[in-house]
Parts: sequence; structure tokens; C-alpha cells
Amino acid sequence: MSENLEQSFVVQLQANQNIIHKICRLYTAGEDAHKDLFQEITIQLWKAYPKFRGDSKFSTWAYRVALNTAITLYRKTKRSVSTVEYENHQHFVKDVDYNYEEEEQIKLMYKAVYQLNDIEKALVFMYLEDKDYQEIAETLGISEVNARVKMNRIKGKLKKILNP
Amino acid sequence: MKELDLLKKDWKKNANSFAQISEVEIYNMIHRKSSSIVKWILIISILEISFWTFSNIFINTDDVLQKINHPEIVFALEFLTYFNYVVVLIFVWIFYKNYRTISTTVATKLLMSAILKTRKTVQYYVWYNLGMILITTILSIFAAFVYNPDMAFLKEKIAGNGKAMFVTVTILIVVILGFLGIFWCFYRLLYGTLLRRLYANYQELKKIDF
Repeated sequence: MSENLEQSFVVQLQANQNIIHKICRLYTAGEDAHKDLFQEITIQLWKAYPKFRGDSKFSTWAYRVALNTAITLYRKTKRSVSTVEYENHQHFVKDVDYNYEEEEQIKLMYKAVYQLNDIEKALVFMYLEDKDYQEIAETLGISEVNARVKMNRIKGKLKKILNP
Repeated sequence: MKELDLLKKDWKKNANSFAQISEVEIYNMIHRKSSSIVKWILIISILEISFWTFSNIFINTDDVLQKINHPEIVFALEFLTYFNYVVVLIFVWIFYKNYRTISTTVATKLLMSAILKTRKTVQYYVWYNLGMILITTILSIFAAFVYNPDMAFLKEKIAGNGKAMFVTVTILIVVILGFLGIFWCFYRLLYGTLLRRLYANYQELKKIDF
């Protein structure tokens, strides 16, 4: 493996690492699981890197590979999410306009998202990232209509979890 | 959906709140060789212990021990067997811990010290095993000669003949040394190769630890 390739990969990944962190936040609970998935994704990205031609932005490419890793590869390994762990894990930043009620709601939302399956999480992730349905569809390899339908179902599911 | 928008707001707010991973740490992640080497050390040591356990089950030594009919020797051999299991299991446990440390550590300095520690453990393990083989072989030969009634005839013959005694002892020593040599080569080949790779990786890490 050429040194230059390695160097450019490390530099770009370092600059774009928040993409991976965000995926880890949605897919794992607890610091160790977060680190594990981060490492797993990094290795998958590195393996796929020689095929990255640079005709898209590194970030676009990285988030697709990372998301696919989270959906496919990581699913095979153990990962049970307990809500207790989750609450210990999340550090909510308290700022000036700290709103207790809102904060509670956000917590409940994260908990609800955790109960979704891995594909559904991917959709939520891209929704949170403001990706349009065309991009969501492309990334997941489904039709745009299907992506919309799925997203609506997820919203329904989340509502059900929040108000059983 | 109101809650989803709320989540999005929070998501965006916290988008840059992650503890950042350094370039060196990323470099380490894609050089995970160490962890797979240590995994092999762990696997081989477990295979080794299973092999010995199985061979103990299939090679029936009870008859021989009964013939010897000396409880203290039987006890000593049995004690050594169990003692050996305990020690080897402790080693396997240490190998496992080394593996956990190496596969989860991202800091170069810690990784390097973990590699050195693993090398030390493996070296102790090999020395321990060789020592144990030496002790059991000597003990077995001693038991066979002194206590086994089948050998009484041979013993009598040798006792009266200084030359025969000398030859027998020499042959025994050669056998013991040969036995040890075989195991030494085996360990050298098996663990030596892994340790060399581990060390090469250590040297690489040393280079990037600016």
C-alpha cells in the first residue's frame, strides 16, 4: 500500500470524522460500542478507499460507505442496546435556553429511534442530515417512492413508540 | 412530526460535539495487524491446551500408573498435571486480556507497551512449557526405571555393569534433550513467527509515534 494513499486517506478521514461519529451515535450506545463501530467503519473505508476515484466529495463517499457498514457489517455482531446504558451515554449540553420539557422529549426521541431497525435508522440518519429523498433512495438502493413510504412508516412507528 | 424536528434541532446542535480522533489514532486503526497477531497467539494457545487435554483422554496412562503401584509418584504426576492446567489457563487468560487491550487501544504509546507485554508473556509461556516438559520427562523416566516392575530385569543387568550404566544414562539424556529440542523448535516456529511480526509492527508504530 503506497504511503501517499495512506497519508491522504488519514488526513481526509480525520477532517471528516464527524460523519462517522454521527452514525455511531445513532447505531450504538455506550462509549466502547461507539469506538468499536468507529474502528470498524474506518477499516471498511480504508479497504474501499483504493476504489474511491475522487469524482464525488470524500465526505459524500465516506458517509455512504460508513452507513452501509453500519447497516450490513455491524449488524452481524452482538449489539444489544439497553436504555439504561443509553442514558448514561448521552451528555446533553445545557445552554442558556435550557428547556427541561424539550430536553425530556429529545431523550425520548433518541430512545424511540434506538428501537428502530438498522435500515430505518439509516433513513432517520439521512433525514436528520437533511438529505433529499433522491439521495436517500440512491444510498439505500431503493426507489424514491419507496423511500418516502418508508419514511412515513417510520414516523408512524416513532409516534406509536412515543404514545403507546 | 414535531418530535422529529426537535430531534433534528438537537442533532444539528450536537453535530460537532464529538471527541475528535487524531490522525495517529486513525493510522493505528488501519494498522490493526497487531490485534490479529495477538488473536492468533490466543487461538493457538487454546488449541494447544485442547490438544493436550484430548491426548490425555485418549492415551490411557492409568494401567501404567497402577503397575507402578506407588501412590506418591502417581500423586506427584497427577499434581503436576492439574498444576499445569491451572498455570496454562492463567496464561490463556493473560493472552485474552492482552488481545482485548491491543484490539481496543487506540493510543500509540499504550499499544506499543501492550505489544511488549504480550511478547514477554509469550516468552514466559514458552519457557514455562519447556521447563514443564523437562520436569515431567525426567519424572516419568525416573518412575519408569525405579518403580516399574517390568524394568526390574533391565535394572539388575545394568547395576552390575558400569559401561552399560553409562550408555543407558547417555541415551536417556540424549532422548530428553532431543525431546526438548523438538518442542523448542515447535514453539520457535509457531510463536517465534508471530512474535517477529508483532515486533515488526511495533517498529512501524515507533516510526509514527512522533
